[in-house]
Amino acid sequence: MAKNKPSIGTKNLTAVQLMELDACTRCGECVKWCPTYAASGQKPGLAPRDKILRWKEFMNKSYGFKAKLFGPQEIPSSELEEFKDDVYGCTTCGICGTVCESGINTVELWEAMRANLVKEGLGPYGKQSMFPKLVNQYNNPYLASPEDRLKWIPDDVKIAKKANILYFGGCTAELRQTKLAVATARVLNKLGIEFTMLGEEEWCCGSAMIRTGQPHIEDIARRVAEHNVEAIKAKGATKVLYACAGCFRSSKIDWPRQLGEELPFEVIHITEFLQDLIKKGKIKWEKSINKTITYHDPCHLGRHVGVYDAPRYVLENIPGVKFVEMDRVKEFQRCCGAGGGVKAGMPELALGVAETRVEDALETQADILSSACPFCKRNLQDGADSLNKKDTPGAEKLEVEDIIVLVAEALGLEVTGD
Amino acid sequence: MVYFSGLSDAARITFFQMMVISIIAMVIFVVGLIINFQKWGAGVTGYALEPEAGSKGSAVRFLKTWWKQVTAKSEHGHGKPILEILILDILFQRRILKRSPGRWFMHFTIFAGWMTLFAMSGMMFTVEMAEMFVELPISAEQFREFLQLPNDIFGYILLLGVLIALVRRIFVKEVRDSSITYDWVLIGVLFLVTVSGFVADGIRTGDLIWNIGMSGETARAYAPPAALFHSVISLLFCIAYIPYSKYIHVIATPLAILANKGGE
Repeated sequence: MAKNKPSIGTKNLTAVQLMELDACTRCGECVKWCPTYAASGQKPGLAPRDKILRWKEFMNKSYGFKAKLFGPQEIPSSELEEFKDDVYGCTTCGICGTVCESGINTVELWEAMRANLVKEGLGPYGKQSMFPKLVNQYNNPYLASPEDRLKWIPDDVKIAKKANILYFGGCTAELRQTKLAVATARVLNKLGIEFTMLGEEEWCCGSAMIRTGQPHIEDIARRVAEHNVEAIKAKGATKVLYACAGCFRSSKIDWPRQLGEELPFEVIHITEFLQDLIKKGKIKWEKSINKTITYHDPCHLGRHVGVYDAPRYVLENIPGVKFVEMDRVKEFQRCCGAGGGVKAGMPELALGVAETRVEDALETQADILSSACPFCKRNLQDGADSLNKKDTPGAEKLEVEDIIVLVAEALGLEVTGD
Repeated sequence: MVYFSGLSDAARITFFQMMVISIIAMVIFVVGLIINFQKWGAGVTGYALEPEAGSKGSAVRFLKTWWKQVTAKSEHGHGKPILEILILDILFQRRILKRSPGRWFMHFTIFAGWMTLFAMSGMMFTVEMAEMFVELPISAEQFREFLQLPNDIFGYILLLGVLIALVRRIFVKEVRDSSITYDWVLIGVLFLVTVSGFVADGIRTGDLIWNIGMSGETARAYAPPAALFHSVISLLFCIAYIPYSKYIHVIATPLAILANKGGE
């Protein structure tokens, strides 16, 4: 009798990742810290430990000792479907990896599982399947034409045709949260930093596809990385600035990986750039912001790349600012809930996580909850609005704002835009 | 041929019996390990790759992929030196200590007790084997006596860790609720092996606590089977069973920590 075929494949899962499944000691630390598990009302399937156990069982049924002797055991499609939903109910924030006693690189594991499920025809989740199609057609996920990327630029902003420094705006700041792009450009102008931008030639950084396991679809992640890198090279830039943590992470980690080579320019987050200028005494503040401010570490800037101090340094140097820390910061930060395609695929879950994070901010009595990522800003704002509707004390007064906008205000600049 | 293992002349376990059991345990272990390596080796060798059509899991592929990752530069920029990882993360288990000092104490006592007892058993075996072929400055019996105290100390260290783990799993609700057979088998077997070791030793030496009421002729009669029982379950559960159970983490976890450069 012919043996069954395994119900799962190992596409995208490295031999080391398959070993990591057996390295899990089920200590439960990841369960204690997982933001979506908590926000879901502790749905067992969302616990990272449970996902590892289930895939390990799938592997044993397909490739383990018994499978070798008697052939692979069939895994019901309903189980695989349920598993897919749970793997996509993760913001890929990476806290499970930080606290993992077995040192498992969980973010890479979840992303590999997602890509595997997409290749097997099971993933992605809901509207996430639109990302590659939209980016393929429009070069951004917002159905905007290339010239729309320039609409945010006010007349007073000077952008050089070519320069050593390039500001990579990102789709969200250029097409949705334009206040962020305006603030960044005006701050750079004010500080006398000559910079250029890609304009219509800027394409999506690829983050949405990579995080949701779809980088391979029509080779989209590699193509956008290649296009952006070539366009940046053509502008003569050796330093590329980012005010979007998602684009920053993609450029720093995903682009070299997609292209198989080091980038020919430096990837710098705007807060790192400003920190350096402050240390050199090159920033002259013009206005005080007499408010208490707390800071939410974006996963893609903090835990994924390790930039924790620069945003705090910038905030603490703004005149009048009283900086306070929330519970769970830096490498133990609680995710805002927007990442990993959760905002697009499971908005209710994203909102639940955001509410918890905003509650962290409310406990500090801060006036402003700041961050350094447009996705975090959007979701935290949604969380604050939702808590406000529920009459949560303090929510009505809490401002959610990006650091670069606060810097612009402290430099006496007007910040316009959405 | 005789096999000493600390028993009196009248109650030795035969060398043949022990060698057969040891070889069976080792064969089961090695076969299981290869099956696991092949299962892991069904994975791909790098980021975003796909297995070649028709390729089967390969132990060599796993080992090569693991080594490539160990020696590669960290893409996330948080790699630590290998020596630091070996000492602090694997031997000292720093990652557990950071999360929970109590659980670290439990795990570290099990780890230190188990590994030291295993090493001392290996040393005892080596001396006994060597004695058959060369003249040693110390006899196997003297060496056994020399190891008695450290064996007791590390046996109690192991027992302490195992008892904490059992109590935790039985009485701490969140731990009990999340426990599955996979977890229970590991701690249950460890408890059985540890207690059987104390009992076998207690019957042999007449220890007041661990002789379980046996003395004189009864003890002499039951000491060999007790020692044999302990030896057999130790070899089968603590060696042969490793690749087929949660014990696999004693191999996979250090390899994962090394591959991920100490983890985040």
